[in-house]
Amino acid sequence: MTRYAMVIDQRRCIGCQSCTVACRTWNDLPIDEIYNPVVSEGVTGIFPHVHLTYKPLLCQHCDTPPCVPCCPTGASQQDEDGIVWVDPDKCMCCKVCVNACPYGARSKSHFEGFVRKCTFCKPRVEQGLQPNCVATCHQKARIFGDLDDPESQVSKLVRGMYTERTFEELGTEPQIYYIPDAGGQL
Amino acid sequence: MADARTIDQKVDIHAPGVVVRKSACYFCHQNCGVLAYVKDGDVIRIEGNPEHTTNLGGLCCRGNIALKHLHHPGRINHPLKRAGAKGENKWEKISWDQAITEIAEKLNQIKAESGPEAVATAGGTLRTDDWSRRRFMNLFGSPNSFHNALLCWIPTFMVETAVSGWSPFETELSNSRVLILWGVNPGASNMPGMRGYSDLKKNGLKIIVVDPRYSETAAHADLWLPLRPGSDTALALAMINVIINEGLFDFEFVDEWCEGFGELADHVEEYTPEWAAPLTWLDPEDIRKAARMYAMNKPGNIQWGCTADQLGRTAGAGMHARAVLRAITGNLDKPGGDVMPGPAAYITDEELEANDRLPDEVKPKQIGYDKFKLTSWQGYGRIAEISKATWGKAPTAEWMCEAHGPSVFKAILTGDPYQVRALLVSATNPLNSYGDTKMVLAAIKKVEFLVVCDYWMTPTAVFADYVMPIAGALERPTIHTNYGVTDSIVATERAIDPLYERHTDYQFWRDLGRACGQTAEDWPWEREEDVYFYMLQPLGLPCESYDDFVENLGGAYYPPQHFYRYKEKGFCTPSRKVELSCGLLEELGYPALPTYIGPVESEVETSEVAKEYPLVLTTGGGFMPYHHSEHFQIKEIRYLYKDPRFTMNPRTAAKMGIKEGDWCWIETRRGRIKQRANLEETVDPRVIYAQRGWWYPERELDTENPYGCLDSNVNVITSVDDADCDPIGGSWANRGLLCKVYKVQEGDKVTNEWSIPGSASEPGIHETYSTSKLAYEVVPKERRHYPAEFEVPEGLEYDELRRTAYQPGTGYRYDQNSGWLIDDSTNVYYDLVTGYAYDPTANDLVDTEGNHYDMQTRELKVLSETPTFDMPEGLTWDVPTQQAWDPATGQVYDPNSGWLIDPNTNVYYDVVTRYAYDPAANDLVDAEGNHYDLETREPKGGAQ
Repeated sequence: MTRYAMVIDQRRCIGCQSCTVACRTWNDLPIDEIYNPVVSEGVTGIFPHVHLTYKPLLCQHCDTPPCVPCCPTGASQQDEDGIVWVDPDKCMCCKVCVNACPYGARSKSHFEGFVRKCTFCKPRVEQGLQPNCVATCHQKARIFGDLDDPESQVSKLVRGMYTERTFEELGTEPQIYYIPDAGGQL
Repeated sequence: MADARTIDQKVDIHAPGVVVRKSACYFCHQNCGVLAYVKDGDVIRIEGNPEHTTNLGGLCCRGNIALKHLHHPGRINHPLKRAGAKGENKWEKISWDQAITEIAEKLNQIKAESGPEAVATAGGTLRTDDWSRRRFMNLFGSPNSFHNALLCWIPTFMVETAVSGWSPFETELSNSRVLILWGVNPGASNMPGMRGYSDLKKNGLKIIVVDPRYSETAAHADLWLPLRPGSDTALALAMINVIINEGLFDFEFVDEWCEGFGELADHVEEYTPEWAAPLTWLDPEDIRKAARMYAMNKPGNIQWGCTADQLGRTAGAGMHARAVLRAITGNLDKPGGDVMPGPAAYITDEELEANDRLPDEVKPKQIGYDKFKLTSWQGYGRIAEISKATWGKAPTAEWMCEAHGPSVFKAILTGDPYQVRALLVSATNPLNSYGDTKMVLAAIKKVEFLVVCDYWMTPTAVFADYVMPIAGALERPTIHTNYGVTDSIVATERAIDPLYERHTDYQFWRDLGRACGQTAEDWPWEREEDVYFYMLQPLGLPCESYDDFVENLGGAYYPPQHFYRYKEKGFCTPSRKVELSCGLLEELGYPALPTYIGPVESEVETSEVAKEYPLVLTTGGGFMPYHHSEHFQIKEIRYLYKDPRFTMNPRTAAKMGIKEGDWCWIETRRGRIKQRANLEETVDPRVIYAQRGWWYPERELDTENPYGCLDSNVNVITSVDDADCDPIGGSWANRGLLCKVYKVQEGDKVTNEWSIPGSASEPGIHETYSTSKLAYEVVPKERRHYPAEFEVPEGLEYDELRRTAYQPGTGYRYDQNSGWLIDDSTNVYYDLVTGYAYDPTANDLVDTEGNHYDMQTRELKVLSETPTFDMPEGLTWDVPTQQAWDPATGQVYDPNSGWLIDPNTNVYYDVVTRYAYDPAANDLVDAEGNHYDLETREPKGGAQ
């Protein structure tokens, strides 16, 4: 079996937003649509004792995605490899899934009649390529791979590093693992 | 509709006929590798090239918008000839050949009338084959090409070359133990570099970041020195003091290979960390910590950063001090240290420039020749001489030996030292990239003949006589020679031929040169590929053509690393040693040892200025996603940062009542600009950091303030007065200027005042132009309207949101079906015309005083105290309802029919007997069920 997942190393992320723009241009997103914003809680501390961490967001491709069973038409679906995606032909744009997602990972553009979301660049992954946000990251802060393969970098990192998941307490079993940046200076 | 695949990837890069070309990004100087998928002469998709040595597949925001850039509707695609007055933005499309011919005619005419030096050229960011511009100028005979290089590493290179014979550009980091990132923020300006630093940090490399701002890079530092902007020279001198006083220098190297160490030790005695503390705002212990960390972890590096070149008059001393730091720690040209490879084995840019064709007698005519000597023919000439004697080759003259840009603009305005009549601008937008924008604007407007080669209609291009369309990164091959100062080469190929009538800058200079009368032998290479292949020849690589080199040899050439080259011939200086006390600088009339000069403005030296301008401004640094003054047109990245922002400490802002996002003026003695407040604890409460480069391509053109280039452009408030420029290299200050900040008020105007200070021989200029428009005008958005779908009676207001009409004042709702006004809280109906309430009991209208009105006629009903008709006995007259009724049963008398009617059941009763009417039998019936005749009221005979 294959189970795609992503590890995001926040120690390496510099908040350059390259992934955001790469996703936008590769997927030809409408201008009001964004799959993977890089957010930050802002600078913490008082100058000069400050710290700043960035958190790239994207669809968490949950193991129990709340956005899939709620879909009345079956447009919102999950593949066996874990990729959650929307079939625009079946989507009637009721936006139930948009409300169901606790991560805000789905949205509907004003310029289109269906709900869009990150698909881990499904067509690229099917061709053995990395999702474009991973490929474009200069800092190599995003690592993508098969969690079921014990030799893959993601499974090694998930096994060997301290990682955190977003809203884990909701039981969605998100598959984006963050290596947090603890901060602090010598 | 499309399937999921085409939604995620509308273009199939694996379709037949699609060719992959190894192209490059040209949106900054890294030249990251790009795979371009080409079909039918057009690029359909790009992505980072995972095999490219620089970026390993990574692309930043800018790199990812290459296709939007290639096909952007705002691009200039044809040569444009001015059709109206200057700046009127009226153009005639002409052919490339016609444009070249006409430009050449004009240049030759100016040359014949005023000499070749009356023609100047301005270069821009590395987007071009700048050697070809230099080649054109040398063959044309003018020494006046200039460039913004004075703000970007070139003075550093020249000072370090004067001191130690070369400047390390590609530092060798794999064996390094400590790295100082001094005034450089690779986290925003060098993405591949930042990746390397993160990797090396994992292996134990210590990183010291010198930056007043908690930058993306400072966030990853082991030691961060948040110094006062512009005080870098004091910090460097204090670090030398610590290293010497604590005996941390490299005894052997200093003894064997350095000149003037004793003098230096004496010279820096006064520059203690305690001396530097009030100048740098740093704790003396932190300065010591940094000095020890650098000197005690060997080998180590100091990475170059543009800050050194943007300090203004203190810049040269700071560069000198840093060169000394590298030398006395023995970090020069050794593994893990600052490597000095010297000129490359391939044909360098300098060898293509034809510098020997420029007559010696015109060299002193170079503007700035006698003012900023190291970066003009005086200093460069000496360095080239020494370098040729040592290495056989010289550093690139383009960038390193130039006219002083701001002085050329002043010459256009004043005619001093002579009138510059023509300006050819390539890949730059001087209105945003040179200091004192208001003065530059006056010069751009005044210059007799202006040609601009660009992608876009920039604020500068608006005033041009000809605008030439230039090909972008995907339309040309790119070769990265590291400005001719290292021996490696990274090459990429052309993805497609230029679209429309776009040409590369090389083609422009070649065609122009030929049209000006330069010979075919002067320009033997037809295309870039030909030149680049010629450059590769000496390497003897097994390739047939330039494209062959890129396709089959990986497009990269890295010679084997070699260290300690000085042990063969000595350092490339007159004494063959590192000249801590620099003979060449002394020869040119500058201090031989790094001598402290304060920043252009400071609270210590110009305290009277600081009273009015209490904050310290730092600016000029790169920030994502823009580059210099570029990319504001491209919505895919403009949506990330729509407005210019300056960073300010929230504690300072709170005192001034400034909130996040407020538009504020940033004012120096020279003018003011407006940007939006970004409140963060990333800067000292006394410091503000402003973004550079801003203009607004989306605006309507206003020639007084073209595309808002005076509104938020930080160069409006910088100074290029000779006294503020570095006397050694001529760079002006972006760091450490004094300013004040206050909120923008309604009606505030931008001023166009500017001046050039006078001297003993010249009176100086002060100009005031009329005021121009506000930077930020709120344009109200057209509201969408929903007209009523029924006729709204007069006096009512239609609510578009609720799709209902309401009566103003009362708030009663109009029911378009019944025509009544309804009070939804009480459910009372009101008449639309009179406003009287409906009384359901009397079935008429009643006003607030209790007067009743007829429903139909709306006339006042006169209430009679006595019955208005002949009332049968036993009934009571009710005045308010004007009815006769039986209070015992509630039955009401109908005078027309003569019956009593129960209003609840609608049963009729006889007025005499009170028997009910039975409609089935058409008779009367009593309570017991006995029937009576309708007429006689007699009991019906026992028939039932």
